[in-house]
Amino acid sequence: MDDFQTGLVELLPRLRRFARVLRSRDADAQDLVQQTVERALGARSKFRAGTRLDSWTFTIMRRIAIDEGRSNQRWGRVMTPETEATASVADLAQAGEGLRTDAMAARLAIHALPEDQKHAVALVLIEGFSYAEAAEVLGLPAGTLTSRLVRGRQALIETLSAQGVTG
Amino acid sequence: MTAYDDETLMRRIDGELSPQAGDRIDADALRDPALAGRLARMRGLRTLARETFAVASDPRDAALSRLIAGTAPASSPWARLVHALKDAFAPRRAALWGGLALATFAGGVFIGPLLNPAEETFGLSPGGAISDAGLVRVLDDRLASDRPDAQGRVVALTYRDIEGRWCRTFRAGDAGVAGLACRNEGQWAIRALAPLDAPSGEVRTAASDTPGAILSAVDAGLAGETLDAADEARARDGGWR
Repeated sequence: MDDFQTGLVELLPRLRRFARVLRSRDADAQDLVQQTVERALGARSKFRAGTRLDSWTFTIMRRIAIDEGRSNQRWGRVMTPETEATASVADLAQAGEGLRTDAMAARLAIHALPEDQKHAVALVLIEGFSYAEAAEVLGLPAGTLTSRLVRGRQALIETLSAQGVTG
Repeated sequence: MTAYDDETLMRRIDGELSPQAGDRIDADALRDPALAGRLARMRGLRTLARETFAVASDPRDAALSRLIAGTAPASSPWARLVHALKDAFAPRRAALWGGLALATFAGGVFIGPLLNPAEETFGLSPGGAISDAGLVRVLDDRLASDRPDAQGRVVALTYRDIEGRWCRTFRAGDAGVAGLACRNEGQWAIRALAPLDAPSGEVRTAASDTPGAILSAVDAGLAGETLDAADEARARDGGWR
């Protein structure tokens, strides 16, 4: 494997983590990772050596997630609310094995955030990107990223505090 | 006592302030329990979020690693289908397939052997009915003037065939497939498929970018004209009845 391929393989666990923030259902997260990898492999000629592969790949995933989100909004969900709720509960139980109660609450609270705030929280709080890097991945001015991060954080602290979760 | 807004404290936690500015906040927090509490809540949230979404290995990464390394077989059913289609359209077989798109593909004659009943996610079911929800949405709802969806799927021509069924051509850019689907008993069924980059040397118009095999299939079944934008929208809004 060349450097690009090796880098992409090493990124898989982080890509999966980002996907799990963006998609509450495990199967949807897996689809998102698979699509991102396929899209990255197809677009590798556009990747400039010497630039950050993680930012580039996260940008691809973010675009796919947004396109899918718009598509789902426009055409309605394929799944019925009942089947989706059942899947979410099952998924949560599976993903929640070993998680503390407060982590389960945090997972639900983060998934409940509006998409724009969730993306900002995922990249900065969870992935550890700097504000400038996160803004680049999201294609946003730095000020917009910051305000989304502030609102997302405030909402999470409020939600979790109301449940007695202090982190 | 200095009143700090949430953004400033957030920047402190995330390491986005200068060391001097960070030290000032920390010093103030030593004298201000409320400020210390706000900082603690923010730190706690970040720690909790990272614990909640910890990086973990997943057995499915092995398959993705093989895909990245280029050693995996074509992973998606669509990819296998495209591979088979490209082989079918190779120049050495042009005489076999050329000009016979509709007869060849209709009724699953060609695609039938490619179908694997074990593949629940496959885009086509035996008989040619489309079970790919994304492609069905595109065929149901999109107009030729719409931009491609996230998977590069877009419709092109819409018309009624000689048996009165609604038919639409589509391109699935990411999958590398173009096709013709017609309404049959309330669902879309594939009537023709061809690879988008068929190595047949055929000339495509910039307007359609649809492989010749698909256009031949349209010509063979077309009754009247293809719809203009207004009629296409009316047919869509009418639910393809």
